[in-house]
Amino acid sequence: MSTTVATPEPAKSRLWKPPIVGLVTFVLMFVGVGLAHTLMVLIEHNLGRETTLAVSPLLGFTGIILLWYGVKSKNETFQTWVGFFGGLIVWMCWVEFFYMWYGRMNWGMLPRMDGAGGLEVSGTYPEYMIMGSTVGTLLMMLCFYTFDKDTRCNMFLWFQDKLGLREGLGPTTKTAKDRNYAIITFMETVFVTWFCYAWNLLTFDPALTGKGNLFVAVNLASVFVAVVWAGFCLTRLIQFKRTATALRYAIPVGNIAWVNVEILEKLDLMSHAVFIDPWSYKLEASVLFGAFLTLIALLVVAPKKPSEVGARRVSAAE
Amino acid sequence: MMDGPGRMEQKHTSPAARRTRPALTLPALVLLLASGSAVAEKLVMPPGMGGVPDIGAIPCSVFNEMIRIAPLGTRHSLITWSAGYLKAVSGKPLQEVVNAADRTGPPWTYDRLAGDLVAYCAANPTAITGDAVSTVAKTLGASGPVPAVTATP
Repeated sequence: MSTTVATPEPAKSRLWKPPIVGLVTFVLMFVGVGLAHTLMVLIEHNLGRETTLAVSPLLGFTGIILLWYGVKSKNETFQTWVGFFGGLIVWMCWVEFFYMWYGRMNWGMLPRMDGAGGLEVSGTYPEYMIMGSTVGTLLMMLCFYTFDKDTRCNMFLWFQDKLGLREGLGPTTKTAKDRNYAIITFMETVFVTWFCYAWNLLTFDPALTGKGNLFVAVNLASVFVAVVWAGFCLTRLIQFKRTATALRYAIPVGNIAWVNVEILEKLDLMSHAVFIDPWSYKLEASVLFGAFLTLIALLVVAPKKPSEVGARRVSAAE
Repeated sequence: MMDGPGRMEQKHTSPAARRTRPALTLPALVLLLASGSAVAEKLVMPPGMGGVPDIGAIPCSVFNEMIRIAPLGTRHSLITWSAGYLKAVSGKPLQEVVNAADRTGPPWTYDRLAGDLVAYCAANPTAITGDAVSTVAKTLGASGPVPAVTATP
């Protein structure tokens, strides 16, 4: 016999309905990408670079501990938040800081130079040169999701459809209640961040696109793709009613939109210095951080459907 | 009396040589024009690589920024440049220069060499990296005339 935990349906909210849920989660994730830059800079500044790089492998375990709590939880919303923050921490510590140590302190790589006479240090630091070389690894690992019949990611479902894989893969064997959203969100955060980094790094690589017209053309094409892609996803996101689902969907939308920020900065058309040099923009950075925390708080207290808080979980057969 | 080369040549040129002059002059002129019109290529790094073509001829302010981002590679790059410089002024490889250096003060380790170069540039951001190398070379007691180093134009 299976039981269902009964909880009253939440009162209908005038605020938390489309398109508010989608817009709030999009803004949260978009600003979140920038603030993740700030967090890295602050950690490095406060601990010192050498200490940061030395302890980053250990710091990364805090993301795994978070994930452990999330996986044990039955609350989908909690799983989603924990998976997101766990993924961010692990990416930051086990990828960015670790590559930083390898490139700057271990392998003795030099930064790419830019500007007049090639005498300005460009933003392509050694760790990003290493990261650019991981594109093959990324694509190889994405094969798993492309050929996984249980994936629910719309992009991979689209690929499966276009590649005629649906029949061969067969029907999914998992239902929503079989899924653990902590690990799903964790992996989503890692792969989306990785993918967007790789995208930017490939189009910025002068060995591939040069520094002249081809560079500008490729990067403007990237902006076009990123705007259309993020815009298309946003039109779907603003129809979401469940905050947990919207949060997960907003991770790629915010990151793809952020690809434009990096490109426009590279083309000297804008700057995101507020995120990477918060000391020079204390007020602005504080406002953005305050807004980010407010959005998180709003989403945490937003009315949830019972399925988002695990109230409809079917308990073990008695 | 004018003793310029042209005049001397004219004085000693045989009639046979004078007859062949137009045939030699034309290719020489072409070569001269060709060499005169060639513009030296500006050295640039291969596009995917980091760093600069001549680490010994950049402003210390640029070097300081490179050190901030990539300390290990940048200082090693300048030490490699220094090894060539020391070989040029003393005729000895880096290890021998270090072996023969003044033994007062801390031992001449890789870290001290790098530290002295970095310290010089940190204290003299408007100098060029070659100045740091020549200063350290003097401290090492590397003998021989010290060639002047100029910044990359």
